[in-house]
Amino acid sequence: MKYRLFGIILFLLFIAWGTLDGLVEGDWGRLEGGLSNLVVFFEESMWPPNWSVLEARSYPVCEEEVGFFCSVGYLGMMETLKIAFVSTVLGFIGAISLSSLAARNLTPLFVSIPVRVFLSAVRSLPSLIWAILFVIVIGFGPLSGVLAMTFYTVGYLGKLQYEVFEGMGNDPLEAGRAMGLSRPSIFFNIVIPENGNHLLSQLMFMFEYNVRHGTVIGIVGAGGIGYYISTYLKFLQYDKVFALLILIFIVVVLIDLLSLMVRSFVNEEGDVRKPTWLTLLMKARKRKQTSVEEA
Amino acid sequence: MSDTAILSLEGLIIGYDDPLVEPISLEVKPGEIVAILGPSGIGKTTLIRTIAGLVRPLGGSFELNVEPRGGLGYIPQRLGLIRHATVAHNVSLGARMRVKWSLDMFKERKERTFEAIRTLGIEDKASEPVRRLSGGQQRRVATARTLAQRPELMLADEFLGELDQTNVDIVLGAVQDLVKSGTAVIMVEHHEDNAKNFATRIWEIKDQRFIDLPIEEWVKYHSEKEEEE
Repeated sequence: MKYRLFGIILFLLFIAWGTLDGLVEGDWGRLEGGLSNLVVFFEESMWPPNWSVLEARSYPVCEEEVGFFCSVGYLGMMETLKIAFVSTVLGFIGAISLSSLAARNLTPLFVSIPVRVFLSAVRSLPSLIWAILFVIVIGFGPLSGVLAMTFYTVGYLGKLQYEVFEGMGNDPLEAGRAMGLSRPSIFFNIVIPENGNHLLSQLMFMFEYNVRHGTVIGIVGAGGIGYYISTYLKFLQYDKVFALLILIFIVVVLIDLLSLMVRSFVNEEGDVRKPTWLTLLMKARKRKQTSVEEA
Repeated sequence: MSDTAILSLEGLIIGYDDPLVEPISLEVKPGEIVAILGPSGIGKTTLIRTIAGLVRPLGGSFELNVEPRGGLGYIPQRLGLIRHATVAHNVSLGARMRVKWSLDMFKERKERTFEAIRTLGIEDKASEPVRRLSGGQQRRVATARTLAQRPELMLADEFLGELDQTNVDIVLGAVQDLVKSGTAVIMVEHHEDNAKNFATRIWEIKDQRFIDLPIEEWVKYHSEKEEEE
């Protein structure tokens, strides 16, 4: 079994290598000097990161006591977070309404198939293309970003959700059906509580995804930190771009930690009460005291 | 108690592709407790799932004379509980089926829920997620859900399995109360002793044959058969 798996991986690697060779038409020479180019580019243009992006902008005049709150980094990141938050919430509501109709164990085929096709159609356009479309239709700004990411969230999250619903055990659904619960009642009282952990996890993942993609859609003028990244790229200010990328990385890590905390309320890991370092130290101290008293 | 049949089977043929048992025709009246006996894989669960409306019969027909909303209570083999929801939420699903829309709806639903929880002795677990409970406690939750529902027909698939005698007594005691109010019970059972102590009627499936006897006759039939052997 182990050797078979190893063989499959080796075979897939071979196929991937062959395909890549076809794509570059055998011209591997262009890789030559790539690493040294990267080192030169990083040392000369990106390092050290220019943290002036976290200082107050010269215009418009900052009216805040702390200059950071008027900085490009803060304003851009906050706008990206707001766009991501609103589009995740709206997208989640849209996605859950549609995924309840797309799951084959919850609805008949004549309902689920058209809804699945619709979700695939929405998902087939990347958020960047949605952003370009909305920038054309309603102009530059965060509203285009919100609409673009909402549509993409509906398509993407909808698929994740209906797959989770289809994977759930059939027993609670059958018990509900036999009892005579209506379809909406089964969905709200059985399906959602049973899959709460997955739904929360997907919601947090989608928020993080939207924060990361907020940077991309900003480049086409749909608001957020991406707008500033795009501007700095145009003026070859890579050190500032690097500082903003570090900021995005920190925010993504913080969202991941937040996600871990939120999910701990619903997942089964919470059922196992692991000892904390504090309790272990207290126990050790107690044991030491008892042995001293006994001596 | 009314004498109208709660369930009527007319030449019912059960199975998925091929018939599992000979055609079944019978009636179940309110207050009856039927235990279905037979070896594993013989069609006991299929029969109960067919009556629950979850499997389409291959032939014949059946008529359920119960209210469409909440008249039928069903405890599947794996209990059908929502593992991530609390005990109270699971039990309240049964209660919500029978409480009609009114201003006092939520109060009445809560009362029913906690009455069932208390009857099954799991009030200290009411706010715990079901996944944290032991197998026996989960079976009590599933029974409490049906108790809160107060159905006219209760279908239970091996719901006494894995239970110790104390838990069996608690669960059967609760179901007895339900039966006194007119509920008919059809349960798949592996332990003949439980069937003998609790049921009023036995359905036995053996070699595709279906035997339907009142408990006294079934006991007599079996003792005669054992003597013959």
